[in-house]
Amino acid sequence: MNCQYCYDGTLAGLLTLYARLLAERAVVERISVTPLDQQSLFNSEISISADQAVAETFWQRLTKRLSDNSLKLLRRCLLADHPQQELLIYHYLLLEAEQGRKIDGMLAHPQVAPVWKLSQQVAREAHRYLGFVRFQQLQGGLYYATIAPDHRILLLIGAHFAERFSDQQWVIHDQRHGEGILYDAEKKEWLLLPMEVTAQPDLTPEEAQFQELWRSYFSTLAIPERTNLKLQQGKVPLKTRSCLIEFTV
Amino acid sequence: MATDLMDRLKILADGAKYDVSCSSSGSSRANSNGGIGSAASTGICHTWTSDGRCVSLLKILMTNRCIYDCAYCINRRSNDVQRVTLSPAEVAELTIGFYRRNYIEGLFLSTGVVRSADYTMELLIQAVRTLREQYRFNGYIHLKLVPGADPLLVQQAGLWADRVSVNLELPTRESLQLLAPDKSRDAVIQPMRQVSNLIVTNRAERKQSRKVPSFAPAGQSTQLIVGATGESDRQIVTLSEQLYQRLDLKRVYYSAFIPTVADTRLPARPEAPLRREHRLYQADWLLRYYGFSAHELLDEASPNLDSELDPKTGWALRHLELFPLEINRASYEELLRVPGVGVRSAQRIIQARRQGHLGIDDLTRLGIVMKRARYFITARGRYVGEIKLENSSLRSRLVDGPKQKRPVQLSLDLEQPVVDETASLITGEL
Ligand code: SF4
Repeated sequence: MNCQYCYDGTLAGLLTLYARLLAERAVVERISVTPLDQQSLFNSEISISADQAVAETFWQRLTKRLSDNSLKLLRRCLLADHPQQELLIYHYLLLEAEQGRKIDGMLAHPQVAPVWKLSQQVAREAHRYLGFVRFQQLQGGLYYATIAPDHRILLLIGAHFAERFSDQQWVIHDQRHGEGILYDAEKKEWLLLPMEVTAQPDLTPEEAQFQELWRSYFSTLAIPERTNLKLQQGKVPLKTRSCLIEFTV
Repeated sequence: MATDLMDRLKILADGAKYDVSCSSSGSSRANSNGGIGSAASTGICHTWTSDGRCVSLLKILMTNRCIYDCAYCINRRSNDVQRVTLSPAEVAELTIGFYRRNYIEGLFLSTGVVRSADYTMELLIQAVRTLREQYRFNGYIHLKLVPGADPLLVQQAGLWADRVSVNLELPTRESLQLLAPDKSRDAVIQPMRQVSNLIVTNRAERKQSRKVPSFAPAGQSTQLIVGATGESDRQIVTLSEQLYQRLDLKRVYYSAFIPTVADTRLPARPEAPLRREHRLYQADWLLRYYGFSAHELLDEASPNLDSELDPKTGWALRHLELFPLEINRASYEELLRVPGVGVRSAQRIIQARRQGHLGIDDLTRLGIVMKRARYFITARGRYVGEIKLENSSLRSRLVDGPKQKRPVQLSLDLEQPVVDETASLITGEL
């Protein structure tokens, strides 16, 4: 019996796969993403191709069945960037199919705990990035920010920035996952798009001054007698600092 | 904008940084007027300083000039320092510039006193008004009230700001008299009372009609300097309890006194001031979120907090007759009193045990930290503390090890024990 499955990496593909697997309560060892050109006759994995209609029906049913809590958990896990997230989610859905809404309370269950932990990680990172986005004002008036988060958190933070900076044209670009949010201040809408850097953006003269002011303000805040770099590093991990004005020169 | 502005910003930020209030949570102001900004109800840290404190606000003085001469303050009249001022327009411009770049959640504006309390209060109000009216700024604003300012100005301040505060600074009338002779206790308490009353009235009025503008929706806070005078922890914690209960304060902040100026009225450098500050914050936490009262934590026999034990553990060791607690039966309130079990952990236990009794392994899976808790609980009747439940042997295992020697200021993430901060952020369908 073959227990390894793969899909095309899209959400529709994954949902199609879940719909199929759950229907037969299949035992699964591995779910992976395989680029099409690597699929061959000798591949022992079963490849399932995306079916938009199946995916949509499945998602609609799921959103009706699940409690708000599990739905939230599921959304976050789908946005995670974790080598095993597909399988973890599958095990969670499998248990849900048996237990229904009872799973909400089964936090310690081995099929729930890992998913729940992952969703917490995604949520925590999303919350952290509400603070870690740094806009730079470009010639022409656009405010542009780059981030490099572990998980694909853009969809979780878009609404916050759309409300807060509703009168300003802005972009938040996730360079790690090659996507970004573009906000249109006229239409008051935001969109998630694939995105790439092409050229070094041109900053306004005012921008450089505000960056200097911010850096000098930030360095003034520290109280030397209390220096605790370890604590600071726990809060602002080194990998996040390249996008933070106050940590760059 | 020249280096001149940079220098002034540095001096005025330096003068405000010892004011410990960093919280921007507790207010939610929607962006409704098509302007800029919103106040998030759970508070967001934008960065952390090298001493590990959360930065969420542009925290500055409008000026460091001052006509008063408080012994503990670097800006006191008799101190020889460079004096600078920002105009209300400059404060507003800086705030907006930082805010648009997502450096900050908002503004924390304090000041020295120039000319008179009223004149100074008016300058502060002008800055905040410019932000709200001209820039249509909906972000968070914390405004200091100047002791002795006219009640009408106090009222105005609360209409523009999210939170207002008067620093109580010293716990007793006598200490205030000694170290801040220009400020009377009444000049400090009076605006606090007024604000407290205005908040209550405003809340009632807004229940009738949402059109009534809100008054200091994030409430008021205050700050106490600890260690500059001889009060005991018991006096301080009891005072805080009264402030929370009678004046409905949102937060009391404690600032360990570190001498920045020499003065014969001040003590020599007190012993371990930061650790004391840390313990006070822990005790304060127990008052606000854990259902403890001041007299449970401190009494005449032990008027000061144990520097080696966190106050909850200290309390538990004095009440071993209540432990161990069976976590499958204990109420939420009881769970909160177990050392090492926080609000989140207690909630998680309650939720998880609905689906069946929990064993010790389940607790670890729930992410409960067992380091302290293990001595005080049983799970399905099993005790894993490994030693007898008695004060002397337990104490030696529970005192803070060398790793925790360095106290940290409780920062914003502890302010969110109850709500799920991202709840409102999850957007529509995937
Ligand atoms: S009134 Fe305020 S600024 Fe002036 S000396 Fe006293 S504490 Fe310092």
